[in-house]
Amino acid sequence: MDLQPIHPEPTSFISKYVFSHDHKVIAKQFLWAGLLFLAFGGTLAMLIRWQWAFPKEPVPLLGNMLFPESGGAVTPANYNVIFTMHGLIMIFFAITPILIGAFGNYCIPLMIGARDMAFPTLNMLSLWTFILSQLLIIASFLVRLGSGAAGWTTYPPLSTNVGTPGMGQTLVVAAIFVTGISTIMGGINYVTTVIRFRAPGMTWMRLPLTVWGLWLTAILNVLFVPVLGSAGLLLILDRTFGTQFFVAGSSAVRGGGDPILFQHLFWIFGHPEVYILILPVWGIVSDTLSFFARKPAYWYKGSVAAMTLVTILSAVVYGHHMYMTGMSPLLGQSFMLLTLAISVPAMILFVNWLMTIWRGSMRLTVPMLFSLGMVFVFGAGGLTGLYLADISLDLYLHDTMFVVGHFHLTMAAASFLGSFAGIYHWFPKMFGRNMNEGLGKAHFWGSVIFITLVFTGQLIVGYSGQQRRLYDPFQYETLQHLRGLNRLTSFFGFCLATSQVFFVINFFRSVFAGTKAEANPWQLPTLEWQIASPPPYHNFDVIPTVVRGPHEFANPAVKKALGRDWLDQTEEFPEEEVSAPEAKLAERAS
Amino acid sequence: MGKVVRYRPHHAEHEWTASIGMIVFLGSWAMMFGALFFVYGIIRSHTRFWPPPDLPAFPLVLPAVNTMALGLSSFMLERARKLILADKVPDTMRAIAFAATLGTLFLSLQLVVWWSLYDKGLSPKTGPYASVFYAMTCFHALHVLVGLGALGWLGLRTREGRYNAARHLPIRLWTMYWHFVGVVWGIMFVVLYVL
Repeated sequence: MDLQPIHPEPTSFISKYVFSHDHKVIAKQFLWAGLLFLAFGGTLAMLIRWQWAFPKEPVPLLGNMLFPESGGAVTPANYNVIFTMHGLIMIFFAITPILIGAFGNYCIPLMIGARDMAFPTLNMLSLWTFILSQLLIIASFLVRLGSGAAGWTTYPPLSTNVGTPGMGQTLVVAAIFVTGISTIMGGINYVTTVIRFRAPGMTWMRLPLTVWGLWLTAILNVLFVPVLGSAGLLLILDRTFGTQFFVAGSSAVRGGGDPILFQHLFWIFGHPEVYILILPVWGIVSDTLSFFARKPAYWYKGSVAAMTLVTILSAVVYGHHMYMTGMSPLLGQSFMLLTLAISVPAMILFVNWLMTIWRGSMRLTVPMLFSLGMVFVFGAGGLTGLYLADISLDLYLHDTMFVVGHFHLTMAAASFLGSFAGIYHWFPKMFGRNMNEGLGKAHFWGSVIFITLVFTGQLIVGYSGQQRRLYDPFQYETLQHLRGLNRLTSFFGFCLATSQVFFVINFFRSVFAGTKAEANPWQLPTLEWQIASPPPYHNFDVIPTVVRGPHEFANPAVKKALGRDWLDQTEEFPEEEVSAPEAKLAERAS
Repeated sequence: MGKVVRYRPHHAEHEWTASIGMIVFLGSWAMMFGALFFVYGIIRSHTRFWPPPDLPAFPLVLPAVNTMALGLSSFMLERARKLILADKVPDTMRAIAFAATLGTLFLSLQLVVWWSLYDKGLSPKTGPYASVFYAMTCFHALHVLVGLGALGWLGLRTREGRYNAARHLPIRLWTMYWHFVGVVWGIMFVVLYVL
């Protein structure tokens, strides 16, 4: 393709590592930024768990530094900030940059055989807009009255000047707006790159499923993040210019606006957003399961169709977040039906995963373990979703810890394990070094066991009636018997956090002193593994010509001729041997 | 490593890529405006009296003139794009200048509309009726302003002779953008002022 010239490699430090146009460098920048905020959001989570285990008691280690005014204990005002910012930071500033910023940038051009993104400058702007939004988040903690405290959903009236006065909430909403702009810039890039820059022969049905997942995510991002942008914009106007979109009640003029309106806008975006956070993981896991089971992905086209269907359906189910807002029963039931319908493609995908690993030659590498863990927690999370989609059950479970447990299993646990599957999988390619396998396995077992236990604990207390977001749940007599279970869950949470130390050690040690990685350490067919680790600045010396799909494993003819169980996507193989099964079929037919 | 092959970028291919990027961007932005229209619909359906009895109704004449101005401006820019395809550089520049003048006329009249309404006591703080009006028109005007900046830049660069029949990608992209802004205004005119 003459679309993609080879540009000379930049030489100065700034153009190479800071304002880089190179998608690989930008991906790493997103990865660092995301991991940093993952630690930030994780720390906030631990503070919440501490409060639920030992309400009003001083927090060890950090307490005196963070809350000197209360002798180290979490105060109600601080608690509101903590749980609000935990959610926002994890979703917009940790998982999004890791899954979409890092993997999107890194994998899409390499896996489709392109030299870079379609718009490298836009890509760089996307990164720096994102960094700006992270700075806004940090700034929001430093202003008077602290950061946002209206819950991650920023519902009015809590998020209006009545509920959360002070600059902090405004800065947080502005940060979300800015990060939305960054996401849209990235999305435009991903969508266009996949449409235009696929290598010759890389047809849509030969794309790795990772690319499919990321591409569909990009479409959702491009279409629905602007809706959140609008909502944020109007909220900022309400907060700073005295407009009356969401203000109601005694503080309103002429009847005021409608707080529920914000919920509509928020969830029109918000429901696609949960698929934005899981579709890349679905793609990555669909690929890694096939890669490490050494079998072709089961029913590739079915997986693609299922992911596409989920993408479409995700746009029309948002009402299930609003069953309790007094919507018309007919509308509620329609949303219920559509929501339950989305489990059909999700199930197809899930069965495809199980069929992919069924009787495979499993290689239990660290990325494979994380993928299997993701399948497990996603299964649990998906099943609990059926409870909540049902209106009659949701009336009881709405706003309880059951909801928290459910969406943490899917959005947090599954995305978290999926992200690490991706990090361990592409680390050798990204940094040209291997990660330590022992530490990786320790990290996996710590993560998967405790992440499941933490969120299962939340499901159980939620089913027993514990509301979410309570500062001190045990001030209610009906919840006092849950004190022990909450404390136990908190200990699981602390163990989960402690397990991450294995990753931190492993990551830093491997980045700087890991053993040099080979070009194709996992013996995989996709394009990125056919070039050096790390890839050269222009990725491919010659744009490859693709001749087959991404999961060419376990062909006995290949094994016989080449002595290995895989063929890379560009590898020619003598026609007669590849088409042997087809010849047999033709024979049988005649 | 294999030999490094140098490619000469083929302009038409590059234009196509950039156009797709622009279409995706405009689709995204359409959702942003779509959300604003959604807000308008919900607020209006919840308000018993529209306009509220003590607040001024929106004018019709000036916005109608504005609609024509922006429509004509869009048409002129489309003409500019056709003219540059025929390599008529001075004509292109004149067409762009005309489009920009009409855009400026639009913004000036919009200022008059805002000012007259504000004068009659319609400030953004006077309830949702005013909020939604100012938010939508201002957000749109901001896009016109960006477009005007772009048209000025395009005009200057056309005068410098940077564009010809083969190379005029920015003109093509900004024409798409300008059409988008015009279409959004058309819908906004009908929804806000006529209905």
